[in-house]
Amino acid sequence: MSPMAFVAAFAVGLLAAIVLFIAVMDYNAVMALRQRIDKAWSNIDVVLKQRDDQLPALVSAVRGLMRFEQSVLTDVARARAAYSPTEPIPDQAVHADVTSRAVRSLLAVVEAYPEVHSDTNVLDLQAEIERLEGMIADRRELYNDQVYRYNARISTFPTLVLAPLFGWRPREFFAAPTSDLDRPVAGL
Amino acid sequence: MDVAATRFDPWLGAIAILGIALGLWLLGRGMRGYRDAIRLGDTATSRISTLAAGEVRVSGVVDVAELTLVSPLQSAACVYYEATIGDAGSLIDLDPRFRERRAVGFRLRDASGSIRVFPRGARWDAPTCFAGSTGVLGEEPPGLMLRTGSAVADGELDRDAAVAALLSVRPALTGSADGPLRVTGGWPGAFGPATSRRRSYHETRLAPGDPVTIVGRALPFSDLSDPAEADVALDAESGPDDPEVTGDIAEARQAGLLADTPDAAWGNAAIPGFGIGRPVRGPDIDPAARSLPLATRDEAARSDRRFRIAPETLVLASAPGVPLLIAYGLPTGAVARGHDRFIVGLLGALLAIGSALGLAAMIGGAAGR
Repeated sequence: MSPMAFVAAFAVGLLAAIVLFIAVMDYNAVMALRQRIDKAWSNIDVVLKQRDDQLPALVSAVRGLMRFEQSVLTDVARARAAYSPTEPIPDQAVHADVTSRAVRSLLAVVEAYPEVHSDTNVLDLQAEIERLEGMIADRRELYNDQVYRYNARISTFPTLVLAPLFGWRPREFFAAPTSDLDRPVAGL
Repeated sequence: MDVAATRFDPWLGAIAILGIALGLWLLGRGMRGYRDAIRLGDTATSRISTLAAGEVRVSGVVDVAELTLVSPLQSAACVYYEATIGDAGSLIDLDPRFRERRAVGFRLRDASGSIRVFPRGARWDAPTCFAGSTGVLGEEPPGLMLRTGSAVADGELDRDAAVAALLSVRPALTGSADGPLRVTGGWPGAFGPATSRRRSYHETRLAPGDPVTIVGRALPFSDLSDPAEADVALDAESGPDDPEVTGDIAEARQAGLLADTPDAAWGNAAIPGFGIGRPVRGPDIDPAARSLPLATRDEAARSDRRFRIAPETLVLASAPGVPLLIAYGLPTGAVARGHDRFIVGLLGALLAIGSALGLAAMIGGAAGR
Protein backbone atom coordinates (compact mmCIF):
# COMPACT_ATOMS: atom_id res chain seq x y z
CA MET A 1 0.00 0.00 0.00
CA SER A 2 1.43 3.36 -1.02
CA PRO A 3 1.67 6.14 1.57
CA MET A 4 -1.03 8.15 -0.20
CA ALA A 5 -3.42 5.19 -0.21
CA PHE A 6 -2.70 4.72 3.47
CA VAL A 7 -3.54 8.38 4.15
CA ALA A 8 -6.74 8.08 2.11
CA ALA A 9 -7.77 5.03 4.13
CA PHE A 10 -6.89 6.86 7.35
CA ALA A 11 -8.98 9.89 6.38
CA VAL A 12 -11.98 7.82 5.29
CA GLY A 13 -11.74 5.70 8.44
CA LEU A 14 -11.57 8.76 10.65
CA LEU A 15 -14.56 10.41 8.98
CA ALA A 16 -16.54 7.15 9.14
CA ALA A 17 -15.69 6.85 12.84
CA ILE A 18 -16.93 10.39 13.48
CA VAL A 19 -20.18 9.81 11.58
CA LEU A 20 -20.74 6.49 13.34
CA PHE A 21 -20.01 8.11 16.69
CA ILE A 22 -22.54 10.87 16.09
CA ALA A 23 -25.18 8.39 14.89
CA VAL A 24 -24.71 6.10 17.89
CA MET A 25 -24.65 8.98 20.38
CA ASP A 26 -27.79 10.53 18.89
CA TYR A 27 -29.64 7.22 18.79
CA ASN A 28 -28.75 6.59 22.44
CA ALA A 29 -29.73 10.15 23.32
CA VAL A 30 -33.20 9.73 21.80
CA MET A 31 -33.67 6.39 23.56
CA ALA A 32 -32.66 8.01 26.86
CA LEU A 33 -35.03 10.92 26.22
CA ARG A 34 -37.94 8.54 25.65
CA GLN A 35 -37.13 6.78 28.90
CA ARG A 36 -36.96 10.09 30.73
CA ILE A 37 -40.32 11.17 29.33
CA ASP A 38 -41.90 7.89 30.46
CA LYS A 39 -40.34 8.29 33.87
CA ALA A 40 -41.45 11.91 34.16
CA TRP A 41 -44.99 10.86 33.25
CA SER A 42 -44.93 8.07 35.85
CA ASN A 43 -43.83 10.60 38.46
CA ILE A 44 -46.82 12.82 37.60
CA ASP A 45 -49.16 9.85 37.69
CA VAL A 46 -47.97 8.88 41.16
CA VAL A 47 -48.73 12.34 42.57
CA LEU A 48 -52.08 12.57 40.77
CA LYS A 49 -53.09 9.29 42.40
CA GLN A 50 -51.88 10.50 45.79
CA ARG A 51 -53.97 13.64 45.42
CA ASP A 52 -57.02 11.67 44.31
CA ASP A 53 -56.59 9.43 47.35
CA GLN A 54 -56.62 12.46 49.65
CA LEU A 55 -59.65 14.18 48.13
CA PRO A 56 -62.41 11.89 49.55
CA ALA A 57 -60.97 12.39 53.03
CA LEU A 58 -61.04 16.18 52.61
CA VAL A 59 -64.57 16.16 51.18
CA SER A 60 -65.91 13.97 53.98
CA ALA A 61 -64.15 16.12 56.59
CA VAL A 62 -65.84 19.31 55.44
CA ARG A 63 -69.16 17.95 54.14
CA GLY A 64 -71.02 18.12 57.44
CA LEU A 65 -69.79 21.60 58.26
CA MET A 66 -70.37 23.22 54.86
CA ARG A 67 -74.11 23.02 54.41
CA PHE A 68 -74.54 25.71 51.80
CA GLU A 69 -71.66 24.87 49.46
CA GLN A 70 -72.63 21.41 48.26
CA SER A 71 -72.03 22.33 44.61
CA VAL A 72 -68.33 22.89 45.31
CA LEU A 73 -68.07 19.45 46.87
CA THR A 74 -69.96 17.94 43.97
CA ASP A 75 -67.55 19.55 41.50
CA VAL A 76 -64.58 18.01 43.29
CA ALA A 77 -66.18 14.57 43.37
CA ARG A 78 -67.19 14.78 39.72
CA ALA A 79 -63.74 15.92 38.58
CA ARG A 80 -62.06 13.15 40.54
CA ALA A 81 -64.38 10.51 39.10
CA ALA A 82 -63.68 11.68 35.54
CA TYR A 83 -59.95 11.04 35.77
CA SER A 84 -58.69 7.84 34.20
CA PRO A 85 -55.01 6.94 33.91
CA THR A 86 -55.64 5.01 30.67
CA GLU A 87 -56.81 8.08 28.75
CA PRO A 88 -54.59 9.90 26.25
CA ILE A 89 -52.28 12.40 27.93
CA PRO A 90 -54.12 15.58 26.76
CA ASP A 91 -57.41 14.19 28.16
CA GLN A 92 -55.71 13.38 31.44
CA ALA A 93 -54.31 16.90 31.47
CA VAL A 94 -57.83 18.30 31.06
CA HIS A 95 -59.17 16.25 33.95
CA ALA A 96 -56.15 17.02 36.13
CA ASP A 97 -56.64 20.73 35.48
CA VAL A 98 -60.37 20.60 36.18
CA THR A 99 -59.69 18.73 39.43
CA SER A 100 -57.05 21.27 40.44
CA ARG A 101 -59.47 24.13 39.82
CA ALA A 102 -62.22 22.40 41.78
CA VAL A 103 -59.83 21.78 44.66
CA ARG A 104 -58.69 25.41 44.62
CA SER A 105 -62.35 26.53 44.75
CA LEU A 106 -63.00 24.19 47.66
CA LEU A 107 -59.96 25.44 49.57
CA ALA A 108 -61.02 29.03 48.93
CA VAL A 109 -64.51 28.31 50.28
CA VAL A 110 -63.05 26.56 53.33
CA GLU A 111 -61.32 29.83 54.22
CA ALA A 112 -64.77 31.41 54.65
CA TYR A 113 -65.81 28.87 57.32
CA PRO A 114 -63.81 29.55 60.50
CA GLU A 115 -65.12 26.41 62.22
CA VAL A 116 -63.94 24.31 59.26
CA HIS A 117 -60.72 26.15 58.76
CA SER A 118 -59.70 25.72 62.40
CA ASP A 119 -60.27 21.97 62.36
CA THR A 120 -56.89 20.25 62.72
CA ASN A 121 -57.84 17.37 60.46
CA VAL A 122 -58.97 19.74 57.72
CA LEU A 123 -55.83 21.82 58.11
CA ASP A 124 -53.63 18.75 57.74
CA LEU A 125 -55.52 17.57 54.68
CA GLN A 126 -55.41 21.06 53.19
CA ALA A 127 -51.65 21.29 53.70
CA GLU A 128 -51.10 17.86 52.19
CA ILE A 129 -53.25 18.60 49.14
CA GLU A 130 -51.55 21.94 48.62
CA ARG A 131 -48.17 20.17 48.80
CA LEU A 132 -49.32 17.61 46.24
CA GLU A 133 -50.67 20.37 43.98
CA GLY A 134 -47.26 22.03 44.09
CA MET A 135 -45.56 18.76 43.21
CA ILE A 136 -47.95 18.21 40.30
CA ALA A 137 -47.12 21.65 38.95
CA ASP A 138 -43.37 21.07 39.27
CA ARG A 139 -43.42 17.61 37.73
CA ARG A 140 -45.72 18.72 34.97
CA GLU A 141 -43.21 21.43 34.11
CA LEU A 142 -40.42 18.85 34.16
CA TYR A 143 -42.40 16.49 31.91
CA ASN A 144 -43.18 19.21 29.40
CA ASP A 145 -39.53 20.32 29.41
CA GLN A 146 -38.46 16.75 28.70
CA VAL A 147 -41.01 16.41 25.88
CA TYR A 148 -39.81 19.71 24.43
CA ARG A 149 -36.22 18.46 24.40
CA TYR A 150 -37.25 15.20 22.73
CA ASN A 151 -39.38 16.94 20.09
CA ALA A 152 -36.61 19.47 19.44
CA ARG A 153 -33.98 16.76 19.10
CA ILE A 154 -35.86 14.60 16.61
CA SER A 155 -36.69 17.63 14.49
CA THR A 156 -33.15 19.00 14.25
CA PHE A 157 -30.03 17.84 12.42
CA PRO A 158 -28.40 15.33 12.73
CA THR A 159 -31.11 13.33 14.56
CA LEU A 160 -33.60 14.49 11.96
CA VAL A 161 -31.97 12.02 9.54
CA LEU A 162 -32.47 9.11 11.92
CA ALA A 163 -36.08 9.94 12.93
CA PRO A 164 -37.83 8.53 9.80
CA LEU A 165 -35.64 5.42 9.90
CA PHE A 166 -36.71 4.53 13.42
CA GLY A 167 -40.24 5.96 13.28
CA TRP A 168 -39.73 8.58 15.99
CA ARG A 169 -42.76 10.87 16.33
CA PRO A 170 -43.22 13.98 18.47
CA ARG A 171 -44.74 13.34 21.90
CA GLU A 172 -47.69 15.26 23.33
CA PHE A 173 -47.32 17.83 26.08
CA PHE A 174 -49.18 17.52 29.35
CA ALA A 175 -51.31 20.56 28.62
CA ALA A 176 -55.02 20.96 28.29
CA PRO A 177 -56.29 22.81 25.20
CA THR A 178 -57.69 26.13 26.39
CA SER A 179 -61.03 25.40 24.71
CA ASP A 180 -61.49 22.40 27.00
CA LEU A 181 -61.21 24.44 30.16
CA ASP A 182 -63.69 26.82 31.68
CA ARG A 183 -62.53 30.37 31.36
CA PRO A 184 -61.88 31.92 34.77
CA VAL A 185 -64.64 34.27 35.77
CA ALA A 186 -63.44 37.72 36.68
CA GLY A 187 -65.50 39.15 39.48
CA LEU A 188 -65.40 42.19 41.66
CA MET B 1 5.17 22.39 -5.62
CA ASP B 2 6.08 18.83 -6.44
CA VAL B 3 5.32 17.02 -3.21
CA ALA B 4 6.72 13.76 -4.51
CA ALA B 5 10.11 15.37 -4.81
CA THR B 6 10.03 16.66 -1.22
CA ARG B 7 13.08 15.54 0.72
CA PHE B 8 12.33 13.67 3.95
CA ASP B 9 13.22 15.87 6.90
CA PRO B 10 13.25 14.07 10.28
CA TRP B 11 12.14 17.24 12.07
CA LEU B 12 9.21 17.77 9.75
CA GLY B 13 8.38 14.09 10.09
CA ALA B 14 8.35 14.41 13.88
CA ILE B 15 6.12 17.50 13.63
CA ALA B 16 3.73 15.62 11.34
CA ILE B 17 3.55 12.70 13.80
CA LEU B 18 2.97 15.17 16.63
CA GLY B 19 0.21 16.76 14.53
CA ILE B 20 -1.47 13.39 14.08
CA ALA B 21 -1.24 12.66 17.80
CA LEU B 22 -2.50 16.12 18.77
CA GLY B 23 -5.35 15.95 16.26
CA LEU B 24 -6.49 12.54 17.51
CA TRP B 25 -6.22 13.72 21.11
CA LEU B 26 -8.37 16.75 20.31
CA LEU B 27 -10.86 14.51 18.53
CA GLY B 28 -11.11 12.21 21.53
CA ARG B 29 -11.58 15.18 23.84
CA GLY B 30 -14.23 16.58 21.49
CA MET B 31 -16.11 13.28 21.46
CA ARG B 32 -16.17 13.25 25.25
CA GLY B 33 -17.43 16.85 25.16
CA TYR B 34 -20.19 15.86 22.71
CA ARG B 35 -21.26 12.96 24.92
CA ASP B 36 -21.37 15.18 28.01
CA ALA B 37 -23.21 17.94 26.14
CA ILE B 38 -25.90 15.46 25.04
CA ARG B 39 -26.28 14.16 28.57
CA LEU B 40 -26.46 17.63 30.07
CA GLY B 41 -28.62 19.15 27.37
CA ASP B 42 -31.18 16.36 27.08
CA THR B 43 -32.13 16.24 30.74
CA ALA B 44 -34.58 18.78 32.12
CA THR B 45 -33.63 20.60 35.31
CA SER B 46 -35.45 19.40 38.42
CA ARG B 47 -36.11 21.45 41.53
CA ILE B 48 -34.38 19.95 44.50
CA SER B 49 -37.46 20.22 46.75
CA THR B 50 -39.58 18.07 44.43
CA LEU B 51 -36.88 15.73 43.23
CA ALA B 52 -37.94 12.20 42.36
CA ALA B 53 -35.59 9.23 42.56
CA GLY B 54 -33.85 8.32 39.31
CA GLU B 55 -31.63 10.12 36.82
CA VAL B 56 -31.95 13.88 37.28
CA ARG B 57 -30.29 17.15 36.40
CA VAL B 58 -30.00 19.79 39.07
CA SER B 59 -28.37 23.16 38.92
CA GLY B 60 -27.37 25.37 41.80
CA VAL B 61 -24.57 26.58 43.98
CA VAL B 62 -21.95 24.51 45.82
CA ASP B 63 -22.32 24.56 49.60
CA VAL B 64 -19.95 22.98 52.08
CA ALA B 65 -21.22 19.78 53.72
CA GLU B 66 -18.77 18.91 56.49
CA LEU B 67 -15.29 19.41 55.12
CA THR B 68 -13.48 21.31 52.43
CA LEU B 69 -10.26 20.52 50.63
CA VAL B 70 -7.28 22.83 50.44
CA SER B 71 -5.97 23.08 46.90
CA PRO B 72 -2.25 22.28 46.44
CA LEU B 73 -1.20 25.26 44.32
CA GLN B 74 -3.24 28.13 45.72
CA SER B 75 -4.27 26.85 49.16
CA ALA B 76 -7.86 27.71 48.30
CA ALA B 77 -10.85 26.08 49.99
CA CYS B 78 -12.65 23.86 47.49
CA VAL B 79 -14.63 20.65 47.11
CA TYR B 80 -12.69 19.36 44.09
CA TYR B 81 -9.32 20.04 42.58
CA GLU B 82 -6.93 18.67 40.00
CA ALA B 83 -3.44 20.10 40.15
CA THR B 84 -0.46 19.35 37.93
CA ILE B 85 3.12 20.52 37.92
CA GLY B 86 5.14 19.77 34.83
CA ASP B 87 7.96 21.07 32.71
CA ALA B 88 7.22 24.47 31.17
CA GLY B 89 7.36 24.68 27.40
CA SER B 90 5.96 21.27 26.45
CA LEU B 91 2.89 21.41 24.21
CA ILE B 92 1.08 18.51 25.87
CA ASP B 93 2.36 17.24 29.17
CA LEU B 94 1.01 13.70 29.33
CA ASP B 95 3.23 12.71 32.21
CA PRO B 96 3.59 15.68 34.57
CA ARG B 97 5.98 15.50 37.47
CA PHE B 98 3.15 15.93 39.94
CA ARG B 99 -0.56 15.29 39.59
CA GLU B 100 -3.15 15.26 42.34
CA ARG B 101 -6.89 14.95 42.01
CA ARG B 102 -9.27 14.89 44.91
CA ALA B 103 -12.88 15.58 45.89
CA VAL B 104 -15.09 15.59 48.97
CA GLY B 105 -18.84 15.40 49.36
CA PHE B 106 -20.72 18.67 49.25
CA ARG B 107 -24.22 20.06 49.14
CA LEU B 108 -25.89 21.55 46.09
CA ARG B 109 -28.35 24.36 46.80
CA ASP B 110 -30.98 25.85 44.52
CA ALA B 111 -33.86 28.25 45.25
CA SER B 112 -36.03 25.42 46.59
CA GLY B 113 -33.63 23.47 48.81
CA SER B 114 -30.37 21.57 48.95
CA ILE B 115 -29.17 18.02 48.38
CA ARG B 116 -26.10 16.10 49.41
CA VAL B 117 -23.73 15.03 46.59
CA PHE B 118 -21.42 12.02 46.85
CA PRO B 119 -18.89 12.52 44.07
CA ARG B 120 -17.26 9.11 43.96
CA GLY B 121 -16.62 8.06 40.36
CA ALA B 122 -17.82 11.44 39.05
CA ARG B 123 -16.67 13.09 35.82
CA TRP B 124 -15.71 16.71 36.43
CA ASP B 125 -15.70 19.71 34.17
CA ALA B 126 -14.10 22.35 36.38
CA PRO B 127 -12.65 25.69 35.33
CA THR B 128 -8.95 26.45 35.31
CA CYS B 129 -8.35 28.67 38.32
CA PHE B 130 -4.61 28.92 38.11
CA ALA B 131 -2.11 28.48 35.30
CA GLY B 132 1.41 29.82 35.19
CA SER B 133 5.02 28.89 34.88
CA THR B 134 8.36 29.73 36.39
CA GLY B 135 9.93 32.86 34.91
CA VAL B 136 13.26 32.88 33.09
CA LEU B 137 14.97 34.19 36.23
CA GLY B 138 13.45 31.48 38.39
CA GLU B 139 10.69 33.58 39.90
CA GLU B 140 7.46 31.76 40.59
CA PRO B 141 4.21 32.98 38.98
CA PRO B 142 2.02 35.46 40.90
CA GLY B 143 -0.78 33.74 42.76
CA LEU B 144 1.15 30.58 43.53
CA MET B 145 0.59 29.80 47.20
CA LEU B 146 1.58 26.22 47.80
CA ARG B 147 -0.29 24.26 50.42
CA THR B 148 1.86 23.70 53.46
CA GLY B 149 -0.64 22.13 55.84
CA SER B 150 -3.42 19.58 55.75
CA ALA B 151 -5.30 18.90 52.53
CA VAL B 152 -8.59 18.85 54.45
CA ALA B 153 -10.16 21.65 56.49
CA ASP B 154 -13.26 22.01 58.62
CA GLY B 155 -16.17 23.14 56.49
CA GLU B 156 -17.51 25.58 59.06
CA LEU B 157 -16.01 29.01 58.71
CA ASP B 158 -14.14 30.01 61.81
CA ARG B 159 -14.20 33.80 61.83
CA ASP B 160 -11.00 34.22 63.84
CA ALA B 161 -9.13 31.75 61.65
CA ALA B 162 -10.36 33.50 58.50
CA VAL B 163 -9.23 36.88 59.82
CA ALA B 164 -5.85 35.46 60.81
CA ALA B 165 -5.43 33.89 57.36
CA LEU B 166 -6.23 37.18 55.66
CA LEU B 167 -3.78 39.10 57.82
CA SER B 168 -0.96 36.57 57.50
CA VAL B 169 1.95 37.58 55.31
CA ARG B 170 3.37 34.60 53.48
CA PRO B 171 6.89 34.54 52.11
CA ALA B 172 7.19 34.87 48.36
CA LEU B 173 8.26 31.76 46.53
CA THR B 174 11.41 32.06 44.49
CA GLY B 175 13.76 29.75 42.74
CA SER B 176 16.64 31.07 44.80
CA ALA B 177 19.92 29.51 45.79
CA ASP B 178 18.00 27.20 48.12
CA GLY B 179 16.65 25.49 45.05
CA PRO B 180 13.29 25.66 43.39
CA LEU B 181 10.15 25.07 45.44
CA ARG B 182 11.83 24.49 48.72
CA VAL B 183 8.52 25.21 50.49
CA THR B 184 7.14 21.99 49.12
CA GLY B 185 8.83 19.83 51.68
CA GLY B 186 5.39 18.50 52.60
CA TRP B 187 5.45 16.37 49.43
CA PRO B 188 8.69 14.48 49.60
CA GLY B 189 9.72 13.23 46.21
CA ALA B 190 6.61 14.58 44.54
CA PHE B 191 8.56 16.54 41.97
CA GLY B 192 11.31 14.04 41.37
CA PRO B 193 14.97 14.92 41.51
CA ALA B 194 15.96 18.55 41.86
CA THR B 195 16.23 20.27 38.52
CA SER B 196 16.78 23.75 37.18
CA ARG B 197 14.17 23.35 34.41
CA ARG B 198 11.23 25.73 34.44
CA ARG B 199 7.98 24.43 35.81
CA SER B 200 4.42 24.91 34.64
CA TYR B 201 1.52 24.95 37.09
CA HIS B 202 -2.09 24.17 36.39
CA GLU B 203 -5.02 23.88 38.77
CA THR B 204 -8.71 23.34 38.15
CA ARG B 205 -11.13 23.37 41.04
CA LEU B 206 -14.68 23.90 42.24
CA ALA B 207 -15.13 26.02 45.32
CA PRO B 208 -18.04 26.77 47.65
CA GLY B 209 -20.28 29.34 45.99
CA ASP B 210 -19.50 28.18 42.44
CA PRO B 211 -22.52 27.52 40.20
CA VAL B 212 -22.62 23.93 38.96
CA THR B 213 -24.87 21.67 36.96
CA ILE B 214 -25.03 18.00 37.92
CA VAL B 215 -26.50 15.05 36.07
CA GLY B 216 -26.68 11.88 38.09
CA ARG B 217 -28.87 9.53 39.97
CA ALA B 218 -30.96 10.64 42.94
CA LEU B 219 -31.34 7.80 45.38
CA PRO B 220 -32.06 7.31 49.09
CA PHE B 221 -28.95 7.52 51.23
CA SER B 222 -29.56 3.96 52.45
CA ASP B 223 -29.20 2.69 48.86
CA LEU B 224 -25.60 3.85 48.58
CA SER B 225 -23.44 0.77 48.40
CA ASP B 226 -20.63 2.31 50.39
CA PRO B 227 -21.49 5.66 52.01
CA ALA B 228 -18.27 5.74 54.00
CA GLU B 229 -16.15 5.90 50.86
CA ALA B 230 -18.59 7.54 48.48
CA ASP B 231 -17.41 11.07 48.96
CA VAL B 232 -13.66 10.72 49.12
CA ALA B 233 -12.47 8.29 46.44
CA LEU B 234 -12.74 9.25 42.79
CA ASP B 235 -12.30 5.97 40.99
CA ALA B 236 -15.11 3.47 41.41
CA GLU B 237 -13.27 0.60 39.74
CA SER B 238 -11.92 -0.94 42.94
CA GLY B 239 -14.72 -0.68 45.48
CA PRO B 240 -15.21 -2.83 48.55
CA ASP B 241 -17.21 -5.31 46.46
CA ASP B 242 -14.13 -6.08 44.41
CA PRO B 243 -13.16 -9.71 45.09
CA GLU B 244 -9.50 -8.79 45.27
CA VAL B 245 -10.19 -6.08 47.85
CA THR B 246 -12.43 -8.43 49.85
CA GLY B 247 -9.70 -11.07 49.77
CA ASP B 248 -7.08 -8.58 50.91
CA ILE B 249 -9.29 -7.40 53.77
CA ALA B 250 -9.94 -10.98 54.94
CA GLU B 251 -6.25 -11.78 54.73
CA ALA B 252 -5.34 -8.65 56.69
CA ARG B 253 -7.92 -9.52 59.37
CA GLN B 254 -6.55 -13.06 59.67
CA ALA B 255 -3.03 -11.75 59.97
CA GLY B 256 -4.14 -9.37 62.72
CA LEU B 257 -3.24 -6.30 60.65
CA LEU B 258 -6.82 -5.05 60.41
CA ALA B 259 -9.13 -4.57 63.38
CA ASP B 260 -12.80 -5.50 63.32
CA THR B 261 -14.19 -2.17 64.50
CA PRO B 262 -13.12 1.48 64.33
CA ASP B 263 -12.87 1.51 68.14
CA ALA B 264 -10.45 -1.39 68.08
CA ALA B 265 -8.43 0.17 65.26
CA TRP B 266 -8.23 3.78 66.32
CA GLY B 267 -9.18 3.86 69.99
CA ASN B 268 -10.10 7.35 71.07
CA ALA B 269 -9.79 8.68 67.54
CA ALA B 270 -12.94 6.71 66.63
CA ILE B 271 -15.06 8.80 69.00
CA PRO B 272 -17.20 11.26 67.00
CA GLY B 273 -15.91 14.80 67.47
CA PHE B 274 -12.54 13.66 68.78
CA GLY B 275 -10.69 14.95 65.73
CA ILE B 276 -12.02 18.49 66.18
CA GLY B 277 -11.35 18.62 69.90
CA ARG B 278 -14.98 18.11 70.96
CA PRO B 279 -15.54 14.38 71.57
CA VAL B 280 -19.15 13.44 72.26
CA ARG B 281 -18.02 11.14 75.10
CA GLY B 282 -15.02 11.01 77.31
CA PRO B 283 -11.99 9.32 75.76
CA ASP B 284 -10.07 6.57 77.55
CA ILE B 285 -6.91 8.36 78.41
CA ASP B 286 -3.84 7.99 80.49
CA PRO B 287 -4.69 9.44 83.94
CA ALA B 288 -1.61 11.60 83.67
CA ALA B 289 -2.64 13.11 80.38
CA ARG B 290 -4.43 16.43 80.02
CA SER B 291 -8.16 15.80 79.47
CA LEU B 292 -10.06 17.34 76.57
CA PRO B 293 -13.13 19.48 77.19
CA LEU B 294 -16.32 17.56 76.36
CA ALA B 295 -18.65 19.00 73.76
CA THR B 296 -21.64 20.84 75.11
CA ARG B 297 -25.07 19.49 74.35
CA ASP B 298 -25.56 22.10 71.63
CA GLU B 299 -22.20 21.34 70.04
CA ALA B 300 -22.89 17.61 70.13
CA ALA B 301 -26.31 18.18 68.52
CA ARG B 302 -24.73 20.42 65.87
CA SER B 303 -22.11 17.79 65.04
CA ASP B 304 -24.82 15.17 64.87
CA ARG B 305 -26.84 17.30 62.44
CA ARG B 306 -23.79 17.88 60.26
CA PHE B 307 -22.66 14.30 59.99
CA ARG B 308 -25.85 12.24 60.25
CA ILE B 309 -27.92 11.61 57.12
CA ALA B 310 -31.34 9.96 57.45
CA PRO B 311 -31.62 6.71 55.44
CA GLU B 312 -34.57 7.94 53.38
CA THR B 313 -32.93 11.26 52.43
CA LEU B 314 -32.37 11.58 48.69
CA VAL B 315 -28.73 12.12 47.69
CA LEU B 316 -26.94 12.42 44.36
CA ALA B 317 -24.37 9.78 43.49
CA SER B 318 -22.97 7.73 40.65
CA ALA B 319 -24.70 4.49 39.76
CA PRO B 320 -23.39 1.55 37.74
CA GLY B 321 -23.28 2.77 34.14
CA VAL B 322 -24.54 6.22 35.16
CA PRO B 323 -21.58 8.24 36.40
CA LEU B 324 -22.17 11.55 38.05
CA LEU B 325 -21.35 14.45 35.73
CA ILE B 326 -20.46 17.65 37.55
CA ALA B 327 -19.96 20.66 35.30
CA TYR B 328 -19.15 24.22 36.25
CA GLY B 329 -21.75 26.85 35.42
CA LEU B 330 -25.36 26.95 34.38
CA PRO B 331 -26.73 24.21 32.07
CA THR B 332 -26.60 26.31 28.90
CA GLY B 333 -22.97 27.27 29.51
CA ALA B 334 -21.92 23.70 30.27
CA VAL B 335 -23.66 22.39 27.13
CA ALA B 336 -22.11 25.12 24.98
CA ARG B 337 -18.67 24.20 26.31
CA GLY B 338 -19.20 20.58 25.28
CA HIS B 339 -20.27 21.62 21.79
CA ASP B 340 -17.26 23.93 21.48
CA ARG B 341 -14.98 21.04 22.39
CA PHE B 342 -16.59 18.92 19.71
CA ILE B 343 -16.01 21.60 17.08
CA VAL B 344 -12.37 21.81 18.17
CA GLY B 345 -12.27 18.00 18.01
CA LEU B 346 -13.45 18.08 14.39
CA LEU B 347 -10.72 20.61 13.62
CA GLY B 348 -8.35 18.19 15.36
CA ALA B 349 -9.48 15.45 12.95
CA LEU B 350 -8.64 17.76 10.05
CA LEU B 351 -5.26 18.45 11.62
CA ALA B 352 -4.60 14.73 11.94
CA ILE B 353 -5.56 14.09 8.32
CA GLY B 354 -3.47 17.05 7.12
CA SER B 355 -0.49 15.90 9.14
CA ALA B 356 -0.86 12.35 7.80
CA LEU B 357 -1.00 13.78 4.28
CA GLY B 358 2.21 15.74 4.87
CA LEU B 359 3.93 12.72 6.36
CA ALA B 360 2.88 10.54 3.44
CA ALA B 361 4.15 13.16 0.98
CA MET B 362 7.52 13.24 2.74
CA ILE B 363 7.81 9.44 2.89
CA GLY B 364 6.69 9.12 -0.74
CA GLY B 365 9.10 11.84 -1.82
CA ALA B 366 12.01 10.22 0.00
CA ALA B 367 11.16 6.79 -1.39
CA GLY B 368 10.81 8.15 -4.96
CA ARG B 369 14.15 9.93 -5.04
